Amino acid sequence: MLAPKSKLSRRKFLQAAAITGGSALLAACAPAATPAPAKPAEPAKPAAPAAPAGGKATELRMAWWGSQDRHDRTIKVIDLYMKKNPNVKITYEFAGFADHLTKMTTQAAGNQLPDIMQQDYAWIAEWAGRGLIIPLDNFASSGALNFKDVSEDFLKGGRVGGKLVAVNLGSNSQCFSCDQGDFEKTGLALPKDDWTWDDFEKTSMTIKEKAGKWAVHGLYGEQLWKSLYLSLGEWSYATDGTAIGYKDDAPFVNYLKMLLRLQKANAIPSRSEDLASFDGKSVEQQPLAVGKAAMDSHWSNQVVAVQKAAGDSRTIKMVPLPRPAGGKSSNYIKPSQFFSVTRDSKAPEEAAKFIDFFTNDIEANDILFAERGVPIAGKVREAMIPKLGKAQKEMFDYVARVSKIAEPIRPADPPGHADLVKNVFNPQVIDAVMFEKAKPEDAAALLRKEVNAVLAKNKK
Amino acid sequence: MTIKQRRELVSSIIYHLFVGFFCLLMIYPLLWLFSSSLKPSAEVFRDTTSLIPSRLSFENYTNGWAGFGGITFSTFYLNSFIYTSLAVVITVFFSAMVAYGFSRIQFTGRKFWFACMITTLMLPVQVVIIPQYIMFSNLKWLNTLYPLLLPRIGGQAFFIFMFMQFIRGIPKELDEAAEIDGCGKIGIFFRIILPLIVPAMVTAAIFSFYWTWEDFLSPLIYLNSPKLYTVSLALRSFADPSANTDWGAIFAMSALSLVPVFIIFIFFQRYLVQGISTTGLKG
Amino acid sequence: MASSIRKKNFKQNNWMGYFFIGPWLLAFLAFTLLPMAASLYFAFNDYSSLDSLDKARWIGLQNFERMFFNDNKYWKSVGATLYYVIFAIPLRLTMALGLAMLLNTGRNGVSFYRAAFYAPSIVGGSIAVAVMWRQVFGTEGLFNAAIRLLGLPTRTWLGDPDYAIWTLIALAVWQFGSPMLIFLAGLKQIPTEFYEAASIDGANGVRKFISITLPLLSPVIFFNLIMQMISGLMVFTQAFIITGGAPLDTTLFYALYIYRRAFENFQMGYASAMAWVLLIIIAVFATIVFKTSNQWVYYESKEE
Repeated sequence: MLAPKSKLSRRKFLQAAAITGGSALLAACAPAATPAPAKPAEPAKPAAPAAPAGGKATELRMAWWGSQDRHDRTIKVIDLYMKKNPNVKITYEFAGFADHLTKMTTQAAGNQLPDIMQQDYAWIAEWAGRGLIIPLDNFASSGALNFKDVSEDFLKGGRVGGKLVAVNLGSNSQCFSCDQGDFEKTGLALPKDDWTWDDFEKTSMTIKEKAGKWAVHGLYGEQLWKSLYLSLGEWSYATDGTAIGYKDDAPFVNYLKMLLRLQKANAIPSRSEDLASFDGKSVEQQPLAVGKAAMDSHWSNQVVAVQKAAGDSRTIKMVPLPRPAGGKSSNYIKPSQFFSVTRDSKAPEEAAKFIDFFTNDIEANDILFAERGVPIAGKVREAMIPKLGKAQKEMFDYVARVSKIAEPIRPADPPGHADLVKNVFNPQVIDAVMFEKAKPEDAAALLRKEVNAVLAKNKK
Repeated sequence: MTIKQRRELVSSIIYHLFVGFFCLLMIYPLLWLFSSSLKPSAEVFRDTTSLIPSRLSFENYTNGWAGFGGITFSTFYLNSFIYTSLAVVITVFFSAMVAYGFSRIQFTGRKFWFACMITTLMLPVQVVIIPQYIMFSNLKWLNTLYPLLLPRIGGQAFFIFMFMQFIRGIPKELDEAAEIDGCGKIGIFFRIILPLIVPAMVTAAIFSFYWTWEDFLSPLIYLNSPKLYTVSLALRSFADPSANTDWGAIFAMSALSLVPVFIIFIFFQRYLVQGISTTGLKG
Repeated sequence: MASSIRKKNFKQNNWMGYFFIGPWLLAFLAFTLLPMAASLYFAFNDYSSLDSLDKARWIGLQNFERMFFNDNKYWKSVGATLYYVIFAIPLRLTMALGLAMLLNTGRNGVSFYRAAFYAPSIVGGSIAVAVMWRQVFGTEGLFNAAIRLLGLPTRTWLGDPDYAIWTLIALAVWQFGSPMLIFLAGLKQIPTEFYEAASIDGANGVRKFISITLPLLSPVIFFNLIMQMISGLMVFTQAFIITGGAPLDTTLFYALYIYRRAFENFQMGYASAMAWVLLIIIAVFATIVFKTSNQWVYYESKEE
């Protein structure tokens, strides 16, 4: 039906073309024109790095993730180091968190890892297990890395299978940060350091009733599942990383049931609300910082940003995590992040020397200013304390206070941890329970089954 | 005023009311972005629905522009402009050339190669990143623009296919008439086909500009030195959910990064309005 | 006469054909073929993204077995992706075509509107668009405010297992700029003489749309349909930056799941296997559309 009509129109179209200058266009072809084949454009010359002046300078590459603030500080420290050590030239690359991982994974596959890379506690076991980051014990004993001023508690998180593969860049511990004003208004005292989950629930319900806002945010993460069992002398994973680490599901089931009660009372943002409004956002956007909740669960270094966002009119105080009745502390001292030296480094000793500078140099740490958490070297901490602002002082005090009661840190997350959190814990345990698609008992049993299945691959 | 004129006026008013309202709806979120970029950093998340900042604050722009460790956004913009303009020219020209070959010339293996080309569109990039990286790093092309530009001399499958569809809309009689006049294939391509697919090429140039401008994955993987970072890559280096993040600066630089794309669009869209009935034939 | 020209030039056609597709062929053989072959090889291997290539271990079809029989998440991601494609693509294309036609007039202000409608598409997948979209659909966001005005119940859209995917569909529809521009360019290519002739014949707007616009635009409609379908099945960025797959995995799109396996869980072998199955799914869909295209796509210049 369509074709004949169009054909007719096409003839008309061609006529129009011929009349209106199409012919001129065609005529232009008549002389045997031979247009030169297009030349492929030359790619721009790569910007050649400036040749080192001395000729024999050691080159180091370094990579980290962070925000603008961290990039600025880290670059300044690198410049300072190069000024003090003209024989070393450090090139660097930085990115956001997710991009850093993509980039490092790609470089690992291509044998192109930087000499020094920033590492996260969740990956070091996997990276060390594959031999991508190297043990630093030799450099520690040779003195290239000087830990005389560092307590073993701060170093322990960087050991995998007894070997030091990563150096802690700052210590953290989990906390509930509390808006002091909200507690005063509701007539509650700030929680004690040894409060229990029962105390926690009562406090939360009271705040909800009297202050008319959410009591607390941040209860859906897997960190609290871990600390629950830490407090009971166990851990989420077995020490060798091949199975689940606890015998009894009941404490976790009770925890999930408490979440359901809190959700029902609207004392916490519902799971739906949490995903819609707060999940994956930075701490400045979360309920405590914007004044919608009285408490929030944080890592201690995050409180600096929370206090800044909350403004000077509010005071944020930190308390340790609650424990199950009769349990020990739910807290441990965790490295915020690490520097590791990689397999691809040609000058591992020089890399270790830089990490030593980062750890022990007072001038360098004046620049870094505990942005990655509380420095691990005692002298550095002492030198920094008088210069601290209100929120940072709170953070230093908190870490000092907690390190006295904290449980020893458990082995780094086994390979498969990220898989379990993203693919099982969040969607199939927390989401399923909070959206009432599964009973807490069944969800806890599923978690046990999946953890055992995924970690079984770590058996040698 | 005649009835016809009046009817046209009414229809024009209805048109503008309808389209205008819809338009506002579409760009509201963008207005929000721009207004957030002018809010004091602490205010950004406190009062999210308001479009009007309590006071105009330009420090987001100065803070953002400062970049990282002395490398400012002027470097990133320069890098982006170099990368993007080279990429657009290469991509659009070669795509048109290849599209002409596929749609207007009979040759053995044509269908097979066409199928191969379409297939390259179907494999998620996530699984070829690593082998590609290994290849380019073995060629010692890291920290250069080669891995970003050289693969483009084959054009881009999306544009090749798009041009093919446009070329097929051009009557073949034009080619044949040209051949009779002694025009070779190359002559036909330059003198007949290229002028007639100008709207499609402009569209492709706009897309290509925007896609390259926005692309962060290749720069992320192949350009290590921050001095070579592009705007989109630099933008992504601002935020870290677990650390102190200057959201005001992110909004400001995000808003600013849209400006070149918008300018390119405004500049090129003039050529969009001139379709085949004006440029190719009547002009 | 035309056919005699074609015969005479047959040999030259082969040479010329490869001359014109040469650049693509070169780039394909040099830069694309090898990585694609490598990923196909990984699909049959236990290979971690962190390891160098020589550490890959051949495991036959185990990745595929795991995918089809032992991974309920895999099927969830297939379901979420199809749901997205079925709703987002037709809505997006209808919107794009409708607005392209509305804007294909000589009225005043059209160039302003065109820019305004295209503007949402240039914010793309940046961090800013994630923040913005979460603001729009947030509990106290723009969308709930509008709904409250209409007296309808508000929701936590992004956190609701039944609706979260719709916020992503809405984003796809909102960013309809690129198919709209392609439609516009296609509409421009239709000679105005056709419409003038039809008007003389007394055809009304609907009639002109059905018998001129649709058939002459069909190559472009076909192109948009194929391309949107391919990119729809590979949808990644929106979910990656906005929902991350939550809640209850309802927005865990196929490509997002591939990324997670490849770069977060370092299981490149498994991710490659998934990617190649996706390629086959897309190829099947595309073949169907290509095969039926003879029925409804009209080319000015027919294929021989």
